Amino acid sequence: MHPRLTRRSLLSLTALTGAVGLVGCGKSPAPPVTSGSVASPNSTPVQYWTFFQDKKNEDYFREHFVKAYSGPAPVEITVKSTDTIDRLIQTALAAGKGPDVVLTPGPSYVPAYDKAGYLAELDAYAKKFGWDTKFAGWSLQASQIDGKLISLPASYESMAFYFSPEVLDKEGLKPPTNRGEFENFCDTALGKGKIPLAAGNADWKAANEWHITVFLDHYAGPKAVYSALQGETAWTDPIFVEAISLLKGYFQKGYFGGSVSSYFTNTFPTVYKQLATGQAFGMISGTWEMANLPTYFADGGSGSGTNWGWTTCPSFHTDVPTDVWDLGIGASIALNAKSPNLGGAADYLNFLTTDTKTITAAIEAVSMQPPPVKLSTADFTAKADERIRRLYTELPKAQNIGYTTWTFYPQQTETYMIQEFEKVITNKTSVQDYCAGINDQFKKEKAAGKVPVAPKPAGLGG
Amino acid sequence: MSAQPTRAQSQAVSLVRRRPLQVRLRDLRVSGWLFLTPLILLNAVVVLIPSIESVAYSFTDWTGLGAATFIGLDNYTKMFGNSDFQSALVHNVIWTAFFLVVPMTLGLFGAYALLRIKRFAVAFRTIYFVPYIVASVVNASIWRVLLSPDMGLGRLLGINFLGETRWAFFSVMIVNTWAWWGFLLVMFLAAMQSVNPSLYEAAEIDGASSTRQFFSITLPSIRPTLMFLGLMTIIWSFLTFDYVYILTQGGPAGSTELLSTLLYREAFTNLRAGYASAIGVIMALISAAAVVSYLWVRHAKDWEM
Repeated sequence: MHPRLTRRSLLSLTALTGAVGLVGCGKSPAPPVTSGSVASPNSTPVQYWTFFQDKKNEDYFREHFVKAYSGPAPVEITVKSTDTIDRLIQTALAAGKGPDVVLTPGPSYVPAYDKAGYLAELDAYAKKFGWDTKFAGWSLQASQIDGKLISLPASYESMAFYFSPEVLDKEGLKPPTNRGEFENFCDTALGKGKIPLAAGNADWKAANEWHITVFLDHYAGPKAVYSALQGETAWTDPIFVEAISLLKGYFQKGYFGGSVSSYFTNTFPTVYKQLATGQAFGMISGTWEMANLPTYFADGGSGSGTNWGWTTCPSFHTDVPTDVWDLGIGASIALNAKSPNLGGAADYLNFLTTDTKTITAAIEAVSMQPPPVKLSTADFTAKADERIRRLYTELPKAQNIGYTTWTFYPQQTETYMIQEFEKVITNKTSVQDYCAGINDQFKKEKAAGKVPVAPKPAGLGG
Repeated sequence: MSAQPTRAQSQAVSLVRRRPLQVRLRDLRVSGWLFLTPLILLNAVVVLIPSIESVAYSFTDWTGLGAATFIGLDNYTKMFGNSDFQSALVHNVIWTAFFLVVPMTLGLFGAYALLRIKRFAVAFRTIYFVPYIVASVVNASIWRVLLSPDMGLGRLLGINFLGETRWAFFSVMIVNTWAWWGFLLVMFLAAMQSVNPSLYEAAEIDGASSTRQFFSITLPSIRPTLMFLGLMTIIWSFLTFDYVYILTQGGPAGSTELLSTLLYREAFTNLRAGYASAIGVIMALISAAAVVSYLWVRHAKDWEM
């Protein structure tokens, strides 16, 4: 006779485990921490999970942002992979754990974390540390949810047009400033058997939104985009349909990456090499590339011997100014509501984002993307790369600003724009349907209050 | 002195004999449960509870963060009306059909050929099996370079295998087949080696050709293995993720999207964990349907495993 599991005992076991599972499913979120007053720091080490593009950046960060920090509590960093850090942080927060200082993908994603009750409110700390005098106003506005400051911008950026001055001189070309010049630039490249703009999304599907951002801001224009972000203009408006149609046409002409199929398989190293070797005449990408390009150009020692230059992206419509800066926040940092040392974490957050001396030194040493704190030419030393110094001294004074999809659009609208765009350029979806899809998604998120606050398109002053 | 035990003695002996048996049986039951407990607990924690939670979450709007709100069958109605889901499901069906035919056929004929050669048989078996034991990320990365339009096959043939929507899905299936068929070959070879050699000898005496021997002796003899691998192919096809994700991430334009990559994208990129759970439930139901069909066929045909 064999001992056996009876059907009843198995059912009992199933019911027990099922009950445990369902109990877990029905949990309520932790209530958000309301910080009417600041928490006092204690000596519990502050935990920060982050990622780095390379070892050089990691070593620099450890030396200057961890060891050099002399706050009330020591800081311990945990390095995660770029691909998985968001998922790991989300899982840890859901378990009531995670780092004290929480890195998020940017303002689009913060509402989801906030709604779950994972993040502490920062208004009291903003007052204590005087963040309103240190940060650009628009960046703090974009970091608010329902009028409360929930995160701080960790880095800011814009889209740019990159080129090699030597290559363009040789070809008798200049960086385009308007649609006519842009088309001439690209057609000249194609005529010479070259790639007009180095581009590819094999390593990062979200690269699609860089181009969408540029065409919405530089064809439809900041005013139209701002109006749509306020819910006053539909995304199905002809101006947006025209912008996406123009971009689609350029893709299908081979302006981006040489062909649509090449765009899907070009990796970042391929893209940089094409630009550095003159195989491609230009590149439209974010200002974060200023940290990546030196390796492939003369600056990096092992590069092609040419230099790189940048300017703002061209205007594609006569009504849009030629110097629109597409504002973006690359990442946002917040505080874990369940941190055992909220005061200590806030102090470190303040150091990380507002210590201008450490920040400018990092820009000069490793081309770090700074938070949108107010920097002037005087903050930089003579060692600073002129191209990078120009960016961070001109961008804060921008007279015309545009809106990046990863900063000012709600999260699900943004992911829809990225994912469905491939169907547009492969003729699987019409531009009209694509814009209608954006509109439907946006309306839902607008109604749910998930659209980040955008500054008016008038400019940043300065 | 009588050798016959008294009734009282018999009862006493009987009790002595019966008690150890009951104790032994009870011990067996206890020890059986003891052996099973770690496995049951592990399965409950790793499989059962998450499975039940997934079913529960599939009826909610859970984002993967914070609380979930019950929304009834919304996720399921949206899913069946969603073109991305329909397209991924069709891709999965094509994928399954392809893997039931191409790698299985390659494995069968490869094993049959290896069975008949004496020299280098072990070397060939090893060569064919190696791709299976190499990490999928390594295999996929190698193939990504091989299929690149800038070098290798892509450049030679002037085709962007992973960049063109009409080629990408087929290319990914070929890469996965390359890594997979060696495993099938080894499994089939092991099954074929257990076939009674006298059957082949008798067939040869009767003048049966190799082809005839394959269809009349080999195939019927390895039917349990064939059926089992067919069933597992169906289940694994609906779980395939790694090669697609590494090579194309479901692109370009969704042309290589499978249910598993769609599920991943919905859960971790779009933050729609409730909807992703509903996709997972459907995937599990499809696999369950395959298993039930297989068991039913086996029962109806009275096949032995």
